[in-house]
Amino acid sequence: MAKVESPQVTRRTTRSYSASNDAIESTKPIEPYKPTLNDLGFRQQPLSFEDLLSCLPGRRTQVLELLRLLGPLNSPMFPILIYGGPSTGKTSVILQVFRHLNRPFVYSSCVTCYSPRILFESILNQLFHRKNSGNSYSSIKRCEKPSDFVNYLREALESVIKNLKGNSGKLSSKVSGQPNGTMIYLVFDHLERVRKWDKSSTILPFLFNLFDILKMPEVGLIFISNTSPDTYYFNMGYVEPIPLCFPDYTEDDLRQIFMANQTNRKLYSSFLDVVLRPFCRVTRRVDELSAVFSSLFKKYSQPLSDMGVAPNEDMKRRLFSHLQPHITSALNETFLSPSWPPLLKDEANGETKKKGSSRMSRIHEDFDKIDFHMSTSAKYLLISAFLASRNPATLDASLFDSTGVSDSRKRKRKPSEKSLEQKEMTELELLMKGPGTFPLERLLAIFQCITSLAEDSLDEEESHELTIEGGSSGLMSDVLLQLSSLCNANFIIKGGSCPLEGSTRYRTAVSEDLALKVARSLKFPLSKYLYRR
Amino acid sequence: MGREKEKENPSQKALNLLRTRLSNPNFVFKPLSDSPDSNYSKLKFIISSSITEACNNSILLLGPRGSGKVAVLELVLSDLLQQYPEAISVIRLNGLLHGDDNCALKEIARQLCMEHQLLFSKVASFDDNSQFLIAMLRECGLAHKTIIFVLDEFDLFAQAKQRLLYSLLDAMQSVTSQAVVIGVSCRLDVDQLLEKRVRSRFSHRKLLFLPPSKEDTERFLEHILSLPKDSSLPHSYTVEFNGRLKNVLADERFKELINTYLSFNSTIGQLMRFLFQAVSYMDLDVGFLSLENFKTALSSTQRQPKSECIKDCSILELYLLVCMKRLEVKEQNSYNFNSVMTAEYKSIHDFQTSDNYAGNVCLRAFEHLLQRELISFTDNRGHNQSVEFRPVKLLISPAELYHGLKSYRSCPAILLKLIAR
Repeated sequence: MAKVESPQVTRRTTRSYSASNDAIESTKPIEPYKPTLNDLGFRQQPLSFEDLLSCLPGRRTQVLELLRLLGPLNSPMFPILIYGGPSTGKTSVILQVFRHLNRPFVYSSCVTCYSPRILFESILNQLFHRKNSGNSYSSIKRCEKPSDFVNYLREALESVIKNLKGNSGKLSSKVSGQPNGTMIYLVFDHLERVRKWDKSSTILPFLFNLFDILKMPEVGLIFISNTSPDTYYFNMGYVEPIPLCFPDYTEDDLRQIFMANQTNRKLYSSFLDVVLRPFCRVTRRVDELSAVFSSLFKKYSQPLSDMGVAPNEDMKRRLFSHLQPHITSALNETFLSPSWPPLLKDEANGETKKKGSSRMSRIHEDFDKIDFHMSTSAKYLLISAFLASRNPATLDASLFDSTGVSDSRKRKRKPSEKSLEQKEMTELELLMKGPGTFPLERLLAIFQCITSLAEDSLDEEESHELTIEGGSSGLMSDVLLQLSSLCNANFIIKGGSCPLEGSTRYRTAVSEDLALKVARSLKFPLSKYLYRR
Repeated sequence: MGREKEKENPSQKALNLLRTRLSNPNFVFKPLSDSPDSNYSKLKFIISSSITEACNNSILLLGPRGSGKVAVLELVLSDLLQQYPEAISVIRLNGLLHGDDNCALKEIARQLCMEHQLLFSKVASFDDNSQFLIAMLRECGLAHKTIIFVLDEFDLFAQAKQRLLYSLLDAMQSVTSQAVVIGVSCRLDVDQLLEKRVRSRFSHRKLLFLPPSKEDTERFLEHILSLPKDSSLPHSYTVEFNGRLKNVLADERFKELINTYLSFNSTIGQLMRFLFQAVSYMDLDVGFLSLENFKTALSSTQRQPKSECIKDCSILELYLLVCMKRLEVKEQNSYNFNSVMTAEYKSIHDFQTSDNYAGNVCLRAFEHLLQRELISFTDNRGHNQSVEFRPVKLLISPAELYHGLKSYRSCPAILLKLIAR
């Protein structure tokens, strides 16, 4: 979570806040440092209650409820499950609340601890390493099974709690930095990740039942999850932890969050007036919004020479009209899906271009070009792969033997009721199936056809000379090399082999826009060869 | 910190006391033990008779999660340990931890070694451990010492080859050994899971743990929530606390509230969880439990996660959900992102343009929906397919979606119109 929320942290908090976040991470790897019990606390000046609420805008009710569930000093608690969408401040709230309470806790995230063994060992390391300075638990306890983990954990917790009790007994005078109380809290972040683990069917019930297994009232368990508790049902069952919901920030909360730590508050507030509403219709996640806003704000304040100026009505209007063309484009550009390969980025920009008005076309001019280098034969290969996966194999002959003749004949036929229905069905099928697969032979055949056609039409361009007629064997090895490099770049996906033929089949993930763009750069009439249903 | 140091006020102490009680099952189940036909008395009779008569025995404790099987067992065991301190040794296993036979035998060996101050070898094999177990059973039988095996989550031990159960029960067939096997499970049909050879060696004695009756519940509430007279708390405070509590417990509204809660969560464990929430809502400045505390606790247990999810959605995500719902109404059996976009989303926005976003923005919203688990992929196949092409399904019912949209703060009118049709 720390990684996800980092833009938000720098935006709205003071240095001490972000330093405190670093402190948790940095205490772990330092080896020569002699760890003590104090490390289980925050080791910083505890936050006061007012600071706690002010550094977490929009989370007042959640903080209060959490404090209630944690209860006063040394009181046992039932396990809690904190849930809410990404970047709603779950982790921050927990960490800051513990900083405020200054009680010992062990934090482990299931993102960094990506397997049961690493999770168990991370918890044990945090507990054992801080046992006492004299102890020599320098090596990691190897612990893979839940049964071993419970034994070690019980041992570790008992010694830690004994130490805590001893400390709180003799330290009646306050020593700063000493964590309070004899409870120890185990925080499991990103619990939803565990569901994807190999042994999730045993690990998750184990974690949920850990409280009953340990039978130690001095241990508090806190689970943090992205998904609501009803996504954790198993046939095994468990006593549910107490749920605590973190809803997404509302528009007002978002305004508060973004207004924090702004140098020119008036200017930024007028900026938020313009952008917050349209963006909130798409997403209310702080991490996504802050990325968009930081770049948009730069554009917004571009015409201003003096950043410290407080805008009046007239200036606001001017700034707004300056920003307006950027808003829609920013909307469409910045929410690039992470699942897309980075090479395809320009494809998204191409889409915005289509609906861009004349005013915006200036911004997008440069997106028309492909912003990566590709050899000519690779381009041809990509186009032929695209054709192979879009067109049905039965039409290859008619498409490439006599250009476009069969196509025009087809169009003349009058569409009957039944054929229309059929057309709809096939359209749906196409949408469902996605691009089709093809064997290597078909790809090479299409490649040869279109390169020879290109030779005929474009023979004035010397640079595009492809030596087809000269020794096809030499070409073939070259093409195969290109093909493998395209596969590596994720343009063409190597699928499983066909069970009947036994040969490998390929598929291309390239969208139509990118294919058209590549074709344009070659001056190849792609649309002529594309079969439309 | 300073706030917490000055915790001499009685209400905080009382809160601490109540919370400690609620999380201590021994305290919670104590009042159950006095009546002669309670599970406690039955269980105690069975175990103590097999200790005194030096015979083997086995028993199953069955009941839903949170009905106090383990807690009652622990009460019995601690009593018996006081009664016959030399004649018992208890081995505790949990199906979640030791479901694997190898691991379970190792754990048995480890606990036996701990108990008898023997050296435990980590590298001992399955055979070594099982021989050690049989030897220990014989030795303990000769010394008239009963070994009690507690197998929590018994159904998980009955999953694979049941080698552990077989070797344990088989060893108990001999005259010399003296052991009790206690299986604890939430599955009422757990004895049907056993193999024939295991089942024939198992005595089919079962104890059922049922939810408490109304009178028991009332006694429970009183027993748990009222403060003791002989504590360090000021006397006047205790008296007033108990007096107010009595008023609350006698209130008709409170009874109704508890009945509502118990109608869907009937076990004692869940009742404790509810009381814990109510107690943590207690206002420390006032210092007494009130009906309001129980009301808020009840409302926080009655959550509707799906409609919460809808409230968190952005407008664009709602559009996608409605589009998918319309596809389902059309009885299109499978659909993916692309078909949603072309078939529905585009057609909605033919005449309404303010929320018409480009495909990649919609795809991002679509991924948010996947993350929120309002929709999911229909199958796990096709991992190499990109997200747009994988078929999805809605995880929310049309009625839930409809109510969610209606209560959404600024839902576009067109969506309501589309979904009502």
